[in-house]
Amino acid sequence: MERERDKEWLDDLRRSPFKTGFGARWGRWILAVKGHWGIFKRNKLGLFGLILLLIFATMALVSYIPPSIDPMYEPMTGVDPNILGTQGPTKSHWLGTDFIGRDILSQLLVGARIAFLVGITAAFMAVAIGTSVGLISGYLGKRVDMILMRVADIIMVLPGLLVILILSAVIGRLSVWNLVIIIGLLRWASVARVIRSQTLSLRERPYVQAAIVSGASKGRIIFRHIGPNVLPLSFLYMTFGVTTAILVEAALAFLGFGDPGTVSWGMMLQWVWKTGNMFKAPYWLLPPGICISLITLSFYCIGRALDEVVNPRLRQR
Amino acid sequence: MHVGRFVLIRATQIVVTFFIILTLLFILFRVAPGDPASMVVDPQMTPEDVEAIRTLFGLDKPLYHQYFCYLKNFFQGEFGSSFYYGKPVINIIGEKLPNTILLFTTSIILSALAGISWGKVIAWKRGSFLDSSVTMVGLVSHTLFLPWIALLMVWVFAYRMNWFPLTGMVTPELWLNPETGILRKALDVIHHMVLPLSVLFTIHFGGFMLIMRSSMLETLKEDYIVTARAKGLTEREIRERHAAKNAALPVVTSVGLSLAFSINGGAITETIFSWPGIGRELVFAVSNSDYPLAQIAFLLIAGLVLVANLVVDILYAYLDPRIKY
Repeated sequence: MERERDKEWLDDLRRSPFKTGFGARWGRWILAVKGHWGIFKRNKLGLFGLILLLIFATMALVSYIPPSIDPMYEPMTGVDPNILGTQGPTKSHWLGTDFIGRDILSQLLVGARIAFLVGITAAFMAVAIGTSVGLISGYLGKRVDMILMRVADIIMVLPGLLVILILSAVIGRLSVWNLVIIIGLLRWASVARVIRSQTLSLRERPYVQAAIVSGASKGRIIFRHIGPNVLPLSFLYMTFGVTTAILVEAALAFLGFGDPGTVSWGMMLQWVWKTGNMFKAPYWLLPPGICISLITLSFYCIGRALDEVVNPRLRQR
Repeated sequence: MHVGRFVLIRATQIVVTFFIILTLLFILFRVAPGDPASMVVDPQMTPEDVEAIRTLFGLDKPLYHQYFCYLKNFFQGEFGSSFYYGKPVINIIGEKLPNTILLFTTSIILSALAGISWGKVIAWKRGSFLDSSVTMVGLVSHTLFLPWIALLMVWVFAYRMNWFPLTGMVTPELWLNPETGILRKALDVIHHMVLPLSVLFTIHFGGFMLIMRSSMLETLKEDYIVTARAKGLTEREIRERHAAKNAALPVVTSVGLSLAFSINGGAITETIFSWPGIGRELVFAVSNSDYPLAQIAFLLIAGLVLVANLVVDILYAYLDPRIKY
């Protein structure tokens, strides 16, 4: 299977107008992306996920447009002076207002921004750490490997959300950025495990032997020769990582430990729950939950489709 | 023989891990801004009083001494008093732990069993309408936001339909009545447990089912499945006895790996349903800055996850005789 793929790729390369140098590298990338897109788009779930993702991205972008209510409207503090409590959808507030008269639609749009911000940065951090640890651990082996993997084992048995709770008890309220860093530090272990096992097999390939013989340093072999070959796998784990990061942030905000300076979907759910409006105001209870569930579903579906791209044996023939 | 050795090694690793968590927690609470005494000290106290409190708490001793003291107290069950309740922590936690274990283990076992039995069926019918629709259900279940689905279930089944109680674990009037029989009490707990259990089941079922499905698909490619077919066994026999048994092993592993994640969900569920467990107690303790309680609740939950991991490992070693360590 592997060889077949290599052959396909070589044929593509031969057809490429760029043969050497910088152009060749870009040419190869473009060809690879094209080929992978072909596989990706055959997966209906993956396309579904991508469409959902585009919708949420649009939501996040729309949140930067000043709302029609008032150009200076701020979803965190903006209160409609005419509305005192929660009220169902009206012409000026399409999704209604919350317990002090803030517009739910505006909060929902800003929530998309926070979800993307937290999800992508935290997942990126986790994957960056996990990939580096996995590569180093897999390539160097011996004692380094043992120590790093024991640390990974310990991190994997820790209940992440509760660790963050304890940390917020000690440190105090966590800002969004602190949260991103903590999620990154708690989620790298599973990525490191996968990358490590991939590295173990790549280490034995002839091109690595050739690099050793030509005197490449360990760092160069790890990051220039083996690194690029595990990147597709890292990218795959990033899409799954985004899912967990968004869920952790939302859960924390729901429990009342979110960053008080932001509006997130989890926080909206906390407000509807804590103010006792959940039985009275379905127009308030439903949107944030649907958004959180769908955004995680979208990243997860994309991840599964990418999984088929990265692991050819998963494809249905 | 091998199994015994494997379990022994895993058990040792788990004890070491627990020690490391215990130590990290000590360091965390010691590097935190303001030492433990600052919680009780109020600004009107004289420096001598503050010093007396620090001596009382043992904060004047060197750090390693404090650490050993911490370990000694932990293993003697001296967890200190809760700031909020003013009672010894051990009394608060002691009555909460069984409730958490009850909800946690039941939900894990039920969802793993359901996941295995559905996963094997849909993998067998790969590509069919049943497969694609159940897979979709699994995907949605796996990515649903737990607090939201919990609130929805409360809204629909407890508030609208009035089938189940809104919160809690028991009906106090029933339990205070001395004439209530044990069976009636058990039914009462089950009645209260249905909703939180369904929430946890909904969240966990999908993941286990998806893993079982892909593992079953892998297994079906094996040579021994072809052999079984060639022998003329019935489809049912091949599916149940040859494929599903082997395919279920990765699900057992994933149960072990997802334990830490499940207990997070357990804590949220307990909080929403006011289920008197340690997860809810931890959330409360953190909101109230009740450090002694938060610390012990966290340690017990971590311990619970570790022990559950060990149980899963033993189960795995028992199910898969190939395992050697």
